[in-house]
Formats: sequence, C-alpha cells, structure tokens
Amino acid sequence: MTSSFSLGQVLDLKPIAREIRPKAPQSTQEQYHPTLWQCTVVAATLKILLLPAYKSTDFEVHRNWLAITHSLPPWEWYYERTSEWTLDYPPYFAAFEWLLSQLAALIDSDMVDTNNLNYSSWPTIAFQRASVIVSELLLFAALYFFVASTPFGARKQSHAVALSILLSPGFLIIDHIHFQYNSMMYGILIFSIALARTDSGLLSSGILFAVLLCFKHIYLYLAPAYFVYLLRAYCLSRNNVFRPHILNCIKLGVSVLAVFGAAFGPFAYWGQLDQLMSRLFPFSRGLCHAYWAPNMWAIYSFVDRLLILVAPYLKLSIDPGALHSVTRGLVGDTSFAVLPNISPKLCFSLTLAFHIQALTTLWLKPTWETFVGALTLCGYASFLFGWHVHEKAVLLIIIPFSLIALKDRSYLASFRPLAVAGYISLFPLLFTAQEYPIKTAYTIGWLILFLYVFDRLAPAPSRQRVFLLDRFALLYNAISVPLIIYCSLVHQVLFRDKYEFLPLMFTSTYCAVGVITSWIGFMVCYLSS
Amino acid sequence: MSQASTPHKPRKKKRQLVRSNTLTDIARVEPGSDSINPEFNLVSFLLPARGKSQWISIPLILIFTGLFRWATGIWGYSGQGIPPMHGDFEAQRHWMEVTQHTPVSMWYFYDLPYWGLDYPPLTAYHSWVCGKIGTLINPEWFALFTSRGYESPDLKVYMRATVIISEYLVYVAALIIFIRHYSRSQGIGTTAANTALVAILMQPATMLIDHGHFQYNTVMLGFVIASLSSIYANRPLWSCIYFVLALGFKQMALYYAPAIFAYLLGSSLTPRLRISRLLAIAIITILAFAAVLAPLMAGTLYDLYRGFDLPYRPPPAFLAQRRITLDPKTTTGALTLQLSQMIHRIFPFARGLFEDKVANFWCTLHTFYKLHRLESYIQLPRLSAYFTFMTILPSMSVLFGCPRPSLIPYAFASCAFGFFLFSFQVHEKSILLPLLPMTLLLSSKKGLSKEYRAWIGFANAVAVYTMFPLLRRDGLRTPYTVLSLLWSWLLGLPPLSMSCYYDPDLPNVPGRPLAPDELRTLTKIFHWWFYAVMGFWHLLAAFAEPPATKPDLWVVVNACVGCVGFVVCYVWCTWKLILESGLLNDYFEDTAKYIDSLMGGEEVWGVGEQQDGVEKEENAEDTIVVQSPGSGEKATPKGKGKGGKKRR
Repeated sequence: MTSSFSLGQVLDLKPIAREIRPKAPQSTQEQYHPTLWQCTVVAATLKILLLPAYKSTDFEVHRNWLAITHSLPPWEWYYERTSEWTLDYPPYFAAFEWLLSQLAALIDSDMVDTNNLNYSSWPTIAFQRASVIVSELLLFAALYFFVASTPFGARKQSHAVALSILLSPGFLIIDHIHFQYNSMMYGILIFSIALARTDSGLLSSGILFAVLLCFKHIYLYLAPAYFVYLLRAYCLSRNNVFRPHILNCIKLGVSVLAVFGAAFGPFAYWGQLDQLMSRLFPFSRGLCHAYWAPNMWAIYSFVDRLLILVAPYLKLSIDPGALHSVTRGLVGDTSFAVLPNISPKLCFSLTLAFHIQALTTLWLKPTWETFVGALTLCGYASFLFGWHVHEKAVLLIIIPFSLIALKDRSYLASFRPLAVAGYISLFPLLFTAQEYPIKTAYTIGWLILFLYVFDRLAPAPSRQRVFLLDRFALLYNAISVPLIIYCSLVHQVLFRDKYEFLPLMFTSTYCAVGVITSWIGFMVCYLSS
Repeated sequence: MSQASTPHKPRKKKRQLVRSNTLTDIARVEPGSDSINPEFNLVSFLLPARGKSQWISIPLILIFTGLFRWATGIWGYSGQGIPPMHGDFEAQRHWMEVTQHTPVSMWYFYDLPYWGLDYPPLTAYHSWVCGKIGTLINPEWFALFTSRGYESPDLKVYMRATVIISEYLVYVAALIIFIRHYSRSQGIGTTAANTALVAILMQPATMLIDHGHFQYNTVMLGFVIASLSSIYANRPLWSCIYFVLALGFKQMALYYAPAIFAYLLGSSLTPRLRISRLLAIAIITILAFAAVLAPLMAGTLYDLYRGFDLPYRPPPAFLAQRRITLDPKTTTGALTLQLSQMIHRIFPFARGLFEDKVANFWCTLHTFYKLHRLESYIQLPRLSAYFTFMTILPSMSVLFGCPRPSLIPYAFASCAFGFFLFSFQVHEKSILLPLLPMTLLLSSKKGLSKEYRAWIGFANAVAVYTMFPLLRRDGLRTPYTVLSLLWSWLLGLPPLSMSCYYDPDLPNVPGRPLAPDELRTLTKIFHWWFYAVMGFWHLLAAFAEPPATKPDLWVVVNACVGCVGFVVCYVWCTWKLILESGLLNDYFEDTAKYIDSLMGGEEVWGVGEQQDGVEKEENAEDTIVVQSPGSGEKATPKGKGKGGKKRR
C-alpha cells in the first residue's frame, strides 16, 4: 500500500481514528457541584450589583480610617479625633487600611482626606465596596483549604458547609450592604481552625489566630478555647499531661509574641499602649447595644418590660427613671425598671463560668471536633452573657458551629434554630425599604437551601438522641414568617411611627429564644459526646 | 455517598435517577463511573437538584433570580434626574397619575405632549391598579399635576416593586408552566428544563430593560408565553385569549401576530378543515378584544351619561384628513371617537421611519444611503411594509403549511426579527420580542446543545450590545457588564468561555466529520469575529473620542454592527424553521441519492425510516443526519447556500 494521497482521499470524509489524548490526571478529590469557585463568582456578581445599596455609618468609619492611615504617621493614628469615628481596631487592621489607602489615593485623593467627613463620591463607594469583595477571596481560599483538609469520607459534607459559609447571608448583610470586612477575618479564622486539624498545623494555627487578634480584637472571645487547645495538644503531650514539649512551647511562645510584638511593639515604643487600649476597649458603654443583640439580656429586658405592665397588679416597685431607657434605643446606659440592674462584673463572671465548663471538656478530650465545639461554646457564652454585645457577633457562633454542624443530626438539630435566629436578628441592621427584599429573600433562600441540603447530608447520630428539638424548631421556624411580616409591614400600618422599639424588641426576643435553645441543644451534644 | 464509618440511615429511600437523553447535552457522564461533569457552569448549580423535589428547586430558582432583578433595580432608571421630560420611568408614573385622577374617557386625551398615554388599554388598567395601591401608601406620588417629575427613593422602590410583582405574576408564572408543557412535548428532563428556566430568567437584555431602564415588557412577553404554553397544552382558545391580552398590553406583540395567525389558521385547515374550530377561534378572539376594550368603553359611556364634557380637540389626524367629524355628544360618536383616538395614539404613523439609532435595516441603510432620496420614488412606510411582508412570509407560510407546535418558537423568532429589521417605528427595546422565542428554544430538545447555545447566546449578546448606548444613558453600565458577563459565564459562551465552539475530546484535525452538535468552522469564525468586533467597539466607546463632526459615530457603528448580527440571526431562525418543518427533507434525499449515485451507488441512508410515518416530528431531522455505519464515510450532501449552516 502506497502512502500517496489522491484527491478522492482528501475529499473523502473518512472518520479519522480518534486521537488518543492523555486524559487529564484524575484528581483524587472528587468534584462536588457547584464548586466553591462557581459560587464565589455568582455571589460576587450579586455583590457588585449591590454597590449602590444602603451603607451604614461603618462606611464612613472605614473611609475615615483610610484617611487617617494615609495622611498621618502611625504614631498619630490612635490619637486622631477629627471625626467621631476614631480608629478602634488593632494595628494590623490599621495597616490593612494603610495598604488600601495607597490604592485609594490613586483612585480619588479626596477620599483619603481626614477633614473630608461623610465623603462618598462614586469612586469612593466603588473602591470601598470592591475592596470588601476582593478581600473576601481570602474566605474563599480558607474554605477551599478547609474542604481539602477534610478526611475523604466527610468531604461532601464539608463542601456543603463551605458553601453555606461562603454564601452566608451574614456576610452579605454585614459586609456587602452594611459595610465591614468580616468575611476576610473569618477567612483567617477558618484557615486557622482548618490548620488545627493536624498536629503539624497546630503551630501555624496558633500564629494565624494571633494575627487575627491583631486584626480585630472581638475574636478574644474565642481565645480561651485556642489557649487551652494549643496548650493541651501542642505544648503538652497528648497522653501525659505532665510531660510538656518544651521545644513546642518555645516555638509557640516566641512566634505568638513576635506577632503581637510586631503589632503593638511600635506603639509600646512610642508609649501609646494606654491610649491604644482605651480605644480598643471602651468600657463606658451600656449593657445592650442599640438594637439589643438576641442574648440573655434581651430576654431579661423583655421580661422587665412585661413586668412594668403587670407591676401595678403585683405591687412591685418601679424605678421611674428607667421607664424609658431601653425604648430610647440609644447607645447608652441601660437600666431596668423592675428587675435588678446588671453589672459588668456579673456579665463577666457568667461568661467565665460557661467558658470554664466548655474548656474543661476540651482539656480532657483534646480532639479537633471538641476544639471547634469549645470555640462555638465560647462564642455562645460571650454572646449570650457578654456586656454590650453587637448583634453582628452572632457570626462568632454561627461560623465555628457550621464547621461541625453536619457531624450528625443532633448537632444539626441545634444548628437550625441558631441559623434562623442568628440571621433574622441581623435584619434590623438594614431598615431601608430598598434593601428589605434583598435581606429577606436572600436569607430565606439561604435557609431553605442549606437547611434542606444539611438535612440530607447529616448522618444519624451514633448514640441515642437525648434532646428532641425538632418539633420545637419547626414551630419556631414557622413563627419567623408572621414575625417578619409584622415587623416590616403590620407595625407600620398599625402604629405608624409610634412604638418604634416594638418590632426591634420582638425580633430580638424571638431571636434570643432561638439562640438560647440552640445553645442548650448544643451543650447537650457537646457534653454527651 | 454513605460512609462506612458512620451508621448513615437515609430518611427517604433514594429514588433511582432516570437519565434523560438530554442530560448528555448538559453534562458529560463518565462511562463506568458515577461522576457527572457539567458542560457549562449553570448546570453545576442545578445538578445537585437532580431527583430532588421541584417544590424546593423552583422556589429557590425564583428567589435567587429575583434577587438579581431587585439588585439591578437599585441602579439608575431612564431619565433619573433629567428634567423636564425625564424618561420611561416618569412616563409610567405619569400614566398612573393620569388614570387615577382623570375620568376614563380622558385617558387617551389628557395633555398628550407630556407623556400622553400611547399603549393599549390593558396598560392603562394596569397603571390604574398600581396607581391606586401607590396612592394608599403615599398620595404625593401620583397627585395630579404636582407630582410631575416626582422622584424619591420610596417612589423608586414602589415602582420597581410593581415591575417585579407584575413580572412574577405574569411572565414567571407563564414561563414555568410553559417549560413544563414544552419540555414534556420535547421529551427533555427536569434538570435540563430547570437549566433552561434559569437561563431564560437570567437573560440580561430583558432584566436590564425592565428592571434597569424601567418598563413593563415582561408583562406583555408573559402573556405571549402563556399563549404559547396554551398551544402546547392543546388549548388553542386560551392561546387566543392570552395573545389578545398581550396585544392589549403592548401593541408590540403584533410582531408575533402574523405567525400565530398563520398557525391557528393552518391548524384549523390541516390535516382537515375544521370549521367549528376556526369559528371558535374567531369568536373568542373578538370577544377577548371586546373584553379588553370594555372598561374603556364603559367608562366613556358613563362619563357621557354624567354629562362630562370631553375636550375633543384636536381630533385624531387620520379622521381629520378624511374630513370625518364625530359628535362626541352621541353614544356612537363618543365611542368611535374614543376608539379612533386610542388607535391614533397607539400607532403613530405620523412619526418617522425610525427614531434614534436602532439596529435595524433602515437605520443601517440610512447610514450609507440617505433615505429621503428614496422618498421621491416611493413612500417610506409603504416600502417598509413590503420589506416586512417579504421577511415574515417564510415563517408565515411554513407555519401555515405545517402547523406543528414544535415549530412555533422558530416561527415567532423569525417573524419578530422580520418586523424588527424592516418595520416602521422600531425602538431598540423591541429586540426583546425576537429574542424571547429564540431564547425559549433553550428549553427545546436540542436547546442546550453546543450549537443552539452558541446561536442563542450570540443573539442575546448582540441584542444586549445594541442596547448599550441606551443603558449607558441610564447609568447602567455596571449592571450591563455584570449581567451580560454573568449570563455568558453561566452558559459557557464567549467572551468568557469557548466551550460552545470547542470540544476537548474531539481531535483537532481538518476534514474530521462534524460532531452532531458542532458548528461549522465558518460559523465559528463568524461568531468569534463578531464577538471581537463587539469587544473592540466597547474599547472604542470607552477610550476613543468620536470625530467632532460626527459625535454619534460610535452609536451608529453600534447599530450597524447590531443590524448585521440580527440579519444573521433572522436567517438562522428562518433556516432552522424550514429544516425543522421537514419540508426540505425530500430535497435532501434527492441530493443525497444523486451524490451517492455519483460516488458509486451505495445504499442511501435514511430512506427506510423516512417512509413509515408521515408525521415523524422527532426524527424529521435525525433521519437525514444519522449516517448508517456502512455508508457514513461518503460525503455529506451539500445543502445549497445557507444549508451549510445546518448540515452536519
């Protein structure tokens, strides 16, 4: 057979033998759909569309910080007080703002002028919003790492969890509408938690958490769990508590000190530590924040309000000065009319008590899951009993809890009311009509989707169920619908502008019930495992 | 994926998933393994819903696509902050004001120069309802006269809400039902149908115009979809009613009228004459029209009865020209006058051939050859009517000749493209009309194959591109960019993905026979070239100043480029219509026989299947494409001319 080509052969559309191509190397990791990246892209498009949405004063706060860090030397950062929104985040965050401000100055130099109060040109809005969207990539990376670090059998579950965190309505509402940089910091937190899975990652986990603390000190709430876990699992032998790994202790101690030193060292050198601390920890604020975070004190004040109504019949004494304190809804000192007032000391000792209880278990059983559980419980205790808690702090519970929510169905059962209550409690942050459909539709969509998916993915518990929350949870979730309708619509129609505090009070009391129930449910799971 | 370690007891028994044959269009199933790789990004989001309840997936789809709509709505609208006339937003608000505060008989007469009502009565009723509810919330929004040019964040939220609620009540509801019927008739699976649903809902052009620019097109389009859906559900009378509603909402629905007329007429005549059906259709249509007009007429009569004096000056132009005078004091006079005024308002023949810059034939022609030079030979409206008639003739005649429901989307698209390209007084927003049936094809049997996706994506890309100058005026550049890129990313289309044009599994060798859903190389080159041109245009518009003598140069270039694209889309739709109708099957067979006899007379493929069964809808195309193993290597018959586009 000659190999010459005839015209006929060329025209002939013979099916050509399939070229054998080397198959793309099958990754050992099975792809779950949709991938994290796909969700990031779609979510990012929605967030870009939300650029002109409502923004709270936090937008101006961050713009002011851009201006402070750009136009002043570091030793004046924590003294500058032209704007009422002084810099009150730790130094790494200030450095982050400084980095951003370098770019910002190129885009709109008026943005980085400290005297330009409430400046919000379109480039400023676009730049600041874009910085949140871009910095969220850190969360994406952290979640990617988290899924990759999961043992093979549970990867499908952890993929679902990662998606739920990535698409969390909390981040949409707080970061992309209200305006903050939480998603980035939770990215660092998740990185650190995921690193703690393996013994080799413990050191870097600790360092990352120290870095996180220097970004935002609210994570101090979680620090006890870190401290105990690292001490127990890294510094001491797992089998024998009395045999410390000296080298590990030194490594951890030196690196954590180095992190803090890099952050606070310069300020200590300038002798500004006192000033810095007074900015970071303003103790002069009241028990409840403007919109009552859904914690114990919300229920406490609700009961107090109820008692005011029935006090005349029960012959209780009413403190007349306190009658209008909560209703004012201002950041200030809260006092109660019937019930005894709460002191910061009481808050602190309650928090500490519940911390200790969670940490004892962690000390006795230093596994990764117990560690995440302890983180969650630390978040719970600080949120439920803390002094002047923001409703945004509920993410401190939800995010760590998400990581273990699919451990089995009893965990999921206590996660459900938390997700419902936690996210609904964020609603009062956005009170404009334009954002109302966004927050409600997104949150409801998220709840339907992920509670359904979680329900299908959570394995049955390996032990007897001890706590039956299901019926309650169903009823509880159902109540949320009339509640949302009342707060958004019916109240307006009934009272117009009177009793503005009522919807807020109902929301926070309702949410507080959910958070507390889920806390009890989780404690049972945690302690019985 | 149960784990060995945990005692996983699934609550519900897992259903065995039945793989529909369209799954291969949207996902690649690895042989021998359970893993399914989506063909394009959108499928990734819907694959996990496989085998799950539609009661979960459909609400979720509606919630999340609704979010994108609302988020688009927080951007600017037409004429925001541009006194004195503002734009479409003010027009709609003004109609709510007028219908609130003037008697019904005045609606088509009230202060015409300031956004006088120029849509059919259903729009007026809709405005009345929206205005009533709005007045309850805040009377200032629609106060007579004082509210002109009223702008406030609250009003914007309210108006946006009316759009989205109207859309969900009509368009979305109709679309869901349509896809149920249509996918069943086309035999496609749930996942593919849901994918198509999301793709259609996320169509950037419709979203940007209705929720960005501000209009209520989706209500009209929704009625059209409902009309289509009734045809698939085999309820032709309902189809008439819905179509009349569409016409009654916006006269633009007339773009489809010849096609649906041809279909209904054809279906009453073939396969046998059905007088009763024909009569029923005629009567129902007339009754529906009467019902749409009834409130307007009743209102006029009531006003007459009350003795309300109508300022009937000036009389409609076409009456004045014919020297017809009507006495508004008599019943018939008042009714005729109202009717003629309404028609006069709805069809403004007095205006020019085209307004602004629109990507149709006349505007493009005008760029190169000034149209007034033609005016001495022929009246332009008449010329445009001839051209339009010629271009809608193919779709009408095919649909009349073989009135099969499966052909309707093609025919609608082709017919509407004909109108858009050649008819009178076309707006750039009218491109939504041809675009809708073409995009609906995504839910057809081959809708998610590479070929269809590439073409539908192309049409959508060109459409949204031609609206860019309009959207830029409204401050919608960012939503434009984001939404169109998102859509193309979801569907695996350029500029973000080439997956429609390239299959990594196929060898890259010249002369390889085309895969079943592969585009011809020339088509691919044309598409890429076109995308490149559109991209380059954006660069020009962003960074280059047009010459001082021609400040509108970029906009004109945009319209001309768009026109070329639409002509090609028109040709594609028409050609697909003809192919799908099977009218050319005989022709292809003859050619095939002829070629085969030339090549040595091997067995002619496809004949066996062709003979049994006259109405072989489903296989109409497959029979001429499927190559039997023995003779497959013989040359594919060369269809003449545009046949190249379709031959595989």
